[in-house]
Amino acid sequence: MRILNIIIFIGVLYADSSDSLLKASAALNAGMFEDALMHVSKAQKEEPTNPDVHQLKALLHEALDEPEDALEAWKECVKYSKDKKVKRQAKIHIQSLSQE
Amino acid sequence: MIKKINSIFLFLLFACWSGPGDPAVQSKYDFSSVGILQINIIRDHSNMLGSGEMVLNSLTHNFLKYGYPVNELNDNLFEVEIDRGELSLELSCIITEFTDSEMIVVPYRHEDRGYTKTVVQQSSDQDEEKEKSQSSQSQTSTTTTHAGKVREGNRVEYTQSKVGVMLKMTDKDSGDMVWSNSYWYSGLELQRTIDLCIKNGVVQIKKLFP
Repeated sequence: MRILNIIIFIGVLYADSSDSLLKASAALNAGMFEDALMHVSKAQKEEPTNPDVHQLKALLHEALDEPEDALEAWKECVKYSKDKKVKRQAKIHIQSLSQE
Repeated sequence: MIKKINSIFLFLLFACWSGPGDPAVQSKYDFSSVGILQINIIRDHSNMLGSGEMVLNSLTHNFLKYGYPVNELNDNLFEVEIDRGELSLELSCIITEFTDSEMIVVPYRHEDRGYTKTVVQQSSDQDEEKEKSQSSQSQTSTTTTHAGKVREGNRVEYTQSKVGVMLKMTDKDSGDMVWSNSYWYSGLELQRTIDLCIKNGVVQIKKLFP
């Protein structure tokens, strides 16, 4: 008797942007900014309208001395954020980075 | 005396009316005749010992970076050579905020969208007695769907620094306040945050001396 088992997994969909964000925060707290940025970029692809992701990305770019990328990330943060405090922070950063 | 208090009150009123980001400037003051800008001693913020010196170092660093010679006088006083004339200004700085590690909490929603698993089982049995003439084949398929789950209320935490300063310039001889503004900045590293906050102030001061 020949038994052939074919197991097919169809539609395995994982929304793991939060995992990326968790990994980013762990790397960030360990001072590994480049690794953190890598995870944040992954989270951004999965959640492109999350302002917190853009905020963290912008801060990381600034820490890594990448002002142009930081400026772009802050602009995205303003676009999607509804929090007045975060918007104000983003505007101050945009103003400062635009002077460079 | 009353005149002086009134002028300070009007100046502050103008500063508030100008809104954040815009410096309050005494328009009649001749900034093109300023020779020396003296930086006064900066007091520490209550949050951190040594914060005054950090901000002072950042101020002198930024003035030097923008091409102004900086001299250290006695008692930890610094002079910036503007070299446009005979007038002297005093620059005072008050640290309004100095936070090394402000906790930022990002609440997130973890969504497990589940999955669909399909198992296909195929079997082939050959009856030896009936030799090659008869054989049987069967195939069964099972599909299982897992709904997944949504977890809410989890947090991602990280820390950021925040620095705020109030800068004001007064004429050394008359005591008139001629310029004032406040700045704040945030970042992941304290030193960089101080530098960027102070840089924003120095860039605006630089515009006064063409």
